[in-house]
Order: sequence, then structure tokens, then C-alpha cells
Amino acid sequence: MKTIFLVDDSATVLISTSSILAKAGYQVEKAASAEEAMSKFKSGLKPDLLITDLNMPGMNGIELIKQARLIPTLRFMPILLLTTESQQAKRADAKAAGASGWLVKPATADELLSTIKLVIK
Amino acid sequence: MDELRQAYIAESQELLVSLEENLLSLEQNPADADALNAVFRAAHTIKGGAGIVECDFIVEFTHVVENALDDARDGRIKLDGELIQLLLASGDQLARLLEFAADPEARPDAATLARGEELLTGLRNYSIGKEAGGDLAATPDARLESSGGGMVGHDCWHISIRFGENVLREGMDPLSFLRYLSGFGEIAHLTTLLEGMPEAEKMDPEACYFGFEIDFRAETSKEKIERVFDFVRDSCTLYILPPYSRVAEYVELIMALPEDTLRLGEILVQAGAITPQELAQSLQTQSLQTQNQVETGQARTAPLGEILVEQHAVQKELVEAAVVKQTQVSDKKAQDAKLIRVHADKLDQLINLVGELVIAGASAALLAQKSKDEGMFEATSTISRLVDEIRDGALRLRMVQIGETFNRFHRVVRDVSRDLGKDIELVITGGEAELDKTVVEKISDPLTHMVRNAIDHGIESAEARIAAGKSARGRLKLNAYHESGNIVIEVADDGGGLKRERIKQKAVAKGLLAADAEPSDADLFKLLFEPGFSTAEQISNLSGRGVGLDVVKRNIEALRGTTSIDSQEGVGTTMSIRLPLTLAIIDGFLMGVGKSAYVVPLDMVEECIELKQGEARSNVLNLRGQVLPLIRLREYFALAGPAGRRENVVVVKYSGNKAGLVVDELMGEFQTVIKPLGQIFEHLRGISGSTILGTGEVALILDVPSLITLATEFESGRAFAPSLH
Amino acid sequence: MQANSPPLALEGAVTIYVVQELKAQLLAGVRDNAELRLDLSQVTELDSAGLQLLYLAKREAIRQGHALRIVAHSDAVREVFDLCNLNAWFGDPTLIPAREPNRQAL
Repeated sequence: MKTIFLVDDSATVLISTSSILAKAGYQVEKAASAEEAMSKFKSGLKPDLLITDLNMPGMNGIELIKQARLIPTLRFMPILLLTTESQQAKRADAKAAGASGWLVKPATADELLSTIKLVIK
Repeated sequence: MDELRQAYIAESQELLVSLEENLLSLEQNPADADALNAVFRAAHTIKGGAGIVECDFIVEFTHVVENALDDARDGRIKLDGELIQLLLASGDQLARLLEFAADPEARPDAATLARGEELLTGLRNYSIGKEAGGDLAATPDARLESSGGGMVGHDCWHISIRFGENVLREGMDPLSFLRYLSGFGEIAHLTTLLEGMPEAEKMDPEACYFGFEIDFRAETSKEKIERVFDFVRDSCTLYILPPYSRVAEYVELIMALPEDTLRLGEILVQAGAITPQELAQSLQTQSLQTQNQVETGQARTAPLGEILVEQHAVQKELVEAAVVKQTQVSDKKAQDAKLIRVHADKLDQLINLVGELVIAGASAALLAQKSKDEGMFEATSTISRLVDEIRDGALRLRMVQIGETFNRFHRVVRDVSRDLGKDIELVITGGEAELDKTVVEKISDPLTHMVRNAIDHGIESAEARIAAGKSARGRLKLNAYHESGNIVIEVADDGGGLKRERIKQKAVAKGLLAADAEPSDADLFKLLFEPGFSTAEQISNLSGRGVGLDVVKRNIEALRGTTSIDSQEGVGTTMSIRLPLTLAIIDGFLMGVGKSAYVVPLDMVEECIELKQGEARSNVLNLRGQVLPLIRLREYFALAGPAGRRENVVVVKYSGNKAGLVVDELMGEFQTVIKPLGQIFEHLRGISGSTILGTGEVALILDVPSLITLATEFESGRAFAPSLH
Repeated sequence: MQANSPPLALEGAVTIYVVQELKAQLLAGVRDNAELRLDLSQVTELDSAGLQLLYLAKREAIRQGHALRIVAHSDAVREVFDLCNLNAWFGDPTLIPAREPNRQAL
């Protein structure tokens, strides 16, 4: 079973997204901030895919991607950045930081799952 | 003008030439899918470039043109004479719009805009009016038919993708894309390309070297396929061809991709996207059409056809022709790859400098000779030889083929004959003859004049032609060839020819000819180039010749050239212009008279003879039984001092006529950098320019053609002894 | 090493996380053996990084006039070879179940 790690400061997003993923047969790990995500990584979490929000209090999504890529076991992990339509400009920054791709919020279940299928190994 | 705009304008002007040529060939053969594609590509590229240089008025105009072309390409509207006319006019409009593209602030004037609007309305109406009934175009079979064989029955999308090196580091896996594609369609054929992977030593296992050629069968849209590759779009190269794409589009794809043509062609053939013949033929066409695009591909040594035969994919006989073509394509490609674009000003500057170098070199050689220093003499003669080569090389840089200029006349002939209701075919030969670019630029106008003249007055109406037992379709020939340092350009028609008697009467009436003169045809016809002779109305009534021909003559003479007419009544007329290949530097022959020096072009010198004391005090010389008129330069230029003890005759020849120039001293070959004469000397007959000798002194360059004419006139008693005074 | 030395067996996930080490190992194997045999039957996962490394090893073998022969494939390996249509390139008789079409015929 593939593990997907969701990082978002919005509880609504965490709950709705994780339920879709769980129904589709993925194991879901959650974190409400980038800092929390980093500590989970440091204690050995190695998901098959990281989905992170861009704007979060404290460390933002792009910073998280940069930090995560520095962990040897996560160097090649697929990472999707959650953005809104208006944050398209951030996609280039995200790619530069090491993201694999992006997801536009709000995404339908189909969009979410088909994008995941595209990047998960 | 900034460099980008400049490049855009130059490129677009070239594209407009190709657009026009291809439209004209479409007019002859509307089923020519390659020509149509070329027209489309030209319009498309012009539009794309306009977007980059932010010329919105060009983008807007070209957009409509492009749409019409796209409709025609897909068989939605029919490409008939009317549409071609509109498209040709649109090309002209684009040329006008380009004039405003140089300055970012400039906008087209109202008249130009109005003209554009008119054309666009025409094009739009055309599209609406001619829309084919039913959905014929929607079914693949109908499209197959309308493309004139250029389309292939391949029901797959073709996806070419080359991934960027960082794809793996970004947590992506190219294999995921393949699996994802299989999720919504069928991968009918796939080739993995890892040719781009460097040698073992340099290969980074964490970098991505993958590329795929995929034939994908699915009910989907291009957008949907593109979206699959969204996350890697910026770093990868992606081309998507829809099902039933044209062969030419596959060929364009091949050209665009980094791998070699052979390998890619093979893959496409294997995938069933195209047949080997289609590929080879299209490669040929493509290469001809994209001569200006520098290809990175290398010349192929193993032709595609050979390999296909080995694989028993096709019969040998079928491929042989294609193989030959492909070799030509490769040669062509190799040549194209070596082209660089240089601004003409830079070349002119170089040639000017070479001119100075020639003079400075001559000066050094002279000093070396005087110094009697053996080593110095050796060194300067080596330098002279090298300067010679540099001179020739520099001049060659500016040589261009006349063919391009000739090709523009397809349009002129078409338009003028259309206006006059005549059916005229243009035949071009000798387009590969080269001449200096500065000369080419200046002959376009006179040539246009001559061509119009031939169509207007030379070629008869269809009725008259049939009555004379000729084909209804008239024929106009443009020809060029090199002859002793000159280029000869001929405009020949198969019309009614010149009516000798009527021209003679007219000439006598105009006072250009004595009433009892019996001039040769050539001499008589030459009069047509005289200013007094040619007012349009009179000439049209007289012989149908001569409108503005004096202007032609003046223009050609300004280029040190000459004009002549040959004609046979009932059979046709040939007008020739004869021009030096270059205006800058010639190989000259230096002669001395007293203290003055004169130069004649070396290629006009036939021989040199010593004039014995007392011989030929008259103005003719018996040269091996033939009468040779003489011009004594000392008398002609009224130079002081007695004739030299020993005189020499330099026999010069031009256009079949000879004359002897009597001089004191023969000084031998001399590289002559031509300096134009000041205005004061402009009307001096017999002098065409000046040059500077190594000593710093000035020498006059003799105008041999006019001197020969003078000498011949004098000899036949029609003129006074030649003298400037 | 002899030509009949035991095959080199790769195990587990042959993915981008291990290709740096594997590159040296594979290239040495190719260099030192006139014929290097590879046993891929215990490979649980093969990604594109692993695949292009195998491709490189094969290309190096050909360049040096050596041979590289894959003597056993796992399902994971076969799936990737099929997906990329590379069976012909590796030129080994893959153990293909009768019901699957033989892509080598292309």
C-alpha cells in the first residue's frame, strides 16, 4: 500500500482530502504545519508522495520542499504543491525548489486521483 | 533599429518571397500540398515573429490569413484563382505592414489599414461563402482525398517527448507517464530513445536521458495529452501530432528533433505512420523549402532506403529513386548548415578596405622595385599575390545568384498578362549565374521595365498569335550567362518582332537617322533606346516597342553596362543587357601616353602590337587582312608633347567589335580599384572612372564600348575624327 | 573472472536511490567479464533510473566487445521492458507467457 503524506494548515482540507485518498486505497499521513512535517520526516517517515500546501504559518510549502529534498531517503520522492489558481506564478518557484508538480485547489476527487497516479511510482 | 526587429523584418521578407512563389505554383497546381504547407508555414512564422517583436497590427492581419490557409489546408474551402489572388494581395499587404515594423512606435497609416481591412473582409467572406456543405471535411476519408495524397491513414496520435535532465531529481519517473497514458488509451507503438545518454564515464545515473516516440490510439484531445506532461513541460521537448497528420508534418517533426533523420524516419516507418517513399520525397521537398533553416543534423551516409530494403520493408526498385533524392537532401543540408548571415554593410566595408589594400600594396611593390632590395621585392610580391586572393575572395562573398531576382518575375508576368488579358508563360534559365549583390539590386527596375514592355508590346494577343500560326500562349524567356567578365541577361519574347521599316521611318522623321542611311539591324534597333524615340503612344502605334527604354539604357550604363536588341519580324525579340560582374575592382591593363596613365579592363584586351614608324599614319590599321579602326589617345585626349618614339596598339574588343588604342607605353596588368568620377567628368565620353596608382597618381579608366563605337563611326565616315575637343 | 562465473544477481528495488553505487558495480562487471550474466529475478522494483543504467551497461558491453546477458527477469522487470519496448535491445530470451504477443517480432 502506498503512503501519501498530506501537509496543510487547514483542517478542512486535511479531512476532505484524506477521506478521498483513503477511499482510493492509499494510506494517509497528516501534518498541520511544515515544522510538524519535518519532525515526522526526521523520525523516519518515508511516504510515496508528499502533498503540501503553499501558504502556511511558519515555514511555507516551498521551504518544506527544499528541506525535505535534503534528506537522503527523500531526494527523489514525488512532491505535489497545492496552489490556488492565482498562485500560478509560484509553480516555477516550487519546481525550482524540487517539487514534481502541483495541484490546483479546490480539486475534484478525479483531478486529485489522476494527478496522483501520474506522479506516484 | 534593434537587432531583433531587424532580424524579424529580414526573415519575414524572405518568407514573403517564399509565400509568393508557392502561391504561384499553387495557382498552376492547386493540389500541391507541399506548396500549401509552405505558404501556411510562412504566414505562421511571420505571425509568430510579429508577436515576439510586439507588432500587433501584423499579428492581427496575419491571423486571418493563417485561418484562411488552415481552412484551405483542411479542405474546408477551395483554393481557387480568386482566393490565390486574395492571398497574393495579402502578401503585398504584409510587405507594406513590415515597413512599419522597424520602428516600435510606428503604426500603419490610414490608407494601409483600410487596404488591410478590405483584404480581411475578402478573406473572411471567402471562408464563409465557400464553406463546403455537409461535414465532408470531418471524415478522415474526405480529408485523405483533399490533401492530394499528402495525408496518411494513421489513426494514432504521435507523441515525441525528450525529458529534461532534472526530471528524476524532481521526484518524477518517465515510466509513470507511459503507465498513465496506457490508462486512457492504447500505446500502439513505442520506441525508447536513449541516444542522448553520454558515454559511461560522464553518464550521471541520477540524470534523466529518456526520450520516447509514441504512437497512441485514443479518443482524446491534444490538450488532454499535453496535460499529462504538464509537470515536465518546461524542461522537456514535446511534440504531438494528431491522427491523420500529413507526411510533411511528420517530416517537420523529424527535422525538429535532435536525433538523426535516419533513425527517426525508421521509427516512424516502423510505427506505420508513414511509408518510406513518402518520407524520402517529403524530406526532399522539406529541405528545399527550408533552405534558410540551418539544420543541426549531419549529412547521412547510409540512406534510409537501403536499410528498409535490407529489412525487406520495401522493394528495391521503389526505393532507388528515393535514395538518390535523400542523398541530395543530405548534401543540401550539409550546405545549409554552413551558411551564416552577414549584414551587407559589413561586406561593403570589407570590400572598400580591400580596395585600399590593393592600392597600398601596389605602392609598396613599387617602392620595393625601386629599392632594388631582392628580399623586399620577394616579400612584396608574395603580399601582392595574397592581396589578389583576398580581393577575389572578398568579391565572391558579395556574389549572389540571379535566380532569386528572376523568380520575382513570375508575379510580374502573371499580373501584367492578367491585366492585359494575355496568356503568357515565363521560362527561366541560367538562374545560377552569379553577380555582385550591388549590381543585382540595381537591375531589378530596368529588368521589370523590359519584361513589362515585352508583355505589353512584344507578345501579341491570342487571336493575332493564332492567326500567325503560333500557339495562343505566349512565351517569355529570362536567361543569364557569363561572358568574359560580364554577365549577359536576356529578356526574349516570341512575339511579333520589330518592324524594321517603320522604325526606320520614325527614326528619320525624328532626325536620329539620315534619310539615305542603311543601318544594320543592331544599329537601327539601338535607336529604340534613345530618349527622343520613345513616347509611349507613338511607339505603340509604330512597332509596339520603346516605352521608357531610354530609362533602361541610362540605368544600365550607370552600371557600366550596355544594352542591345535583336529581333526578327514575326518570330520575336530579344533584349540583352550586358553588365560587369562587379562594380568595385577589376583586373586592368595599364598603358601610358606621355605622362598620363590609362586603364582598360583586362578581359577586353585582345592583343598588343608594336606600331612601326611611319606605319598607319591614317586612322586604320591592316590587322592580318582586316581593317582595324584606331584611336590615338594622345590626340583624343589632346595631350601635349610629341608622339613617343615607339608606339603600341592595344587591340580591344567588345561585343564583337574591335578597335585599336594607340599608346606610347604598355605597362602591363594592374589591379584597378574603381573610383567613380566626379560630376564634372560625368558626361565625358570615353571615360568610365578613375583609379589610383601605387605612386599615388590618378589614372583614367577608359570606357571601351563607347570608344569602339566612336572609332567605328569615324572609320565608316559618319563622324569626325574622335576627339574630346 | 571466468565466463562461467556465477551470474550477478540484483535484488530488491533497482531505483534511483541505488543507481550511484550500482553504476560502478555494473560497469566493473561488464569490464571484467567477457560475458556478464545478470539475474534480475529478485528485482522487486525497476524505475527509469534503473532501466537507463541497465541500458548503459549493455551499451558498454557492446562497445568493449563483451556480452551482457540477462538470464532471469522478475515480473517487475518484464513489465518495464515491455512498456519501453526494449526486449529486442537487451536481446535476451525473456520468459514470456504464451498468451502475450512477442514484441520482439516488431
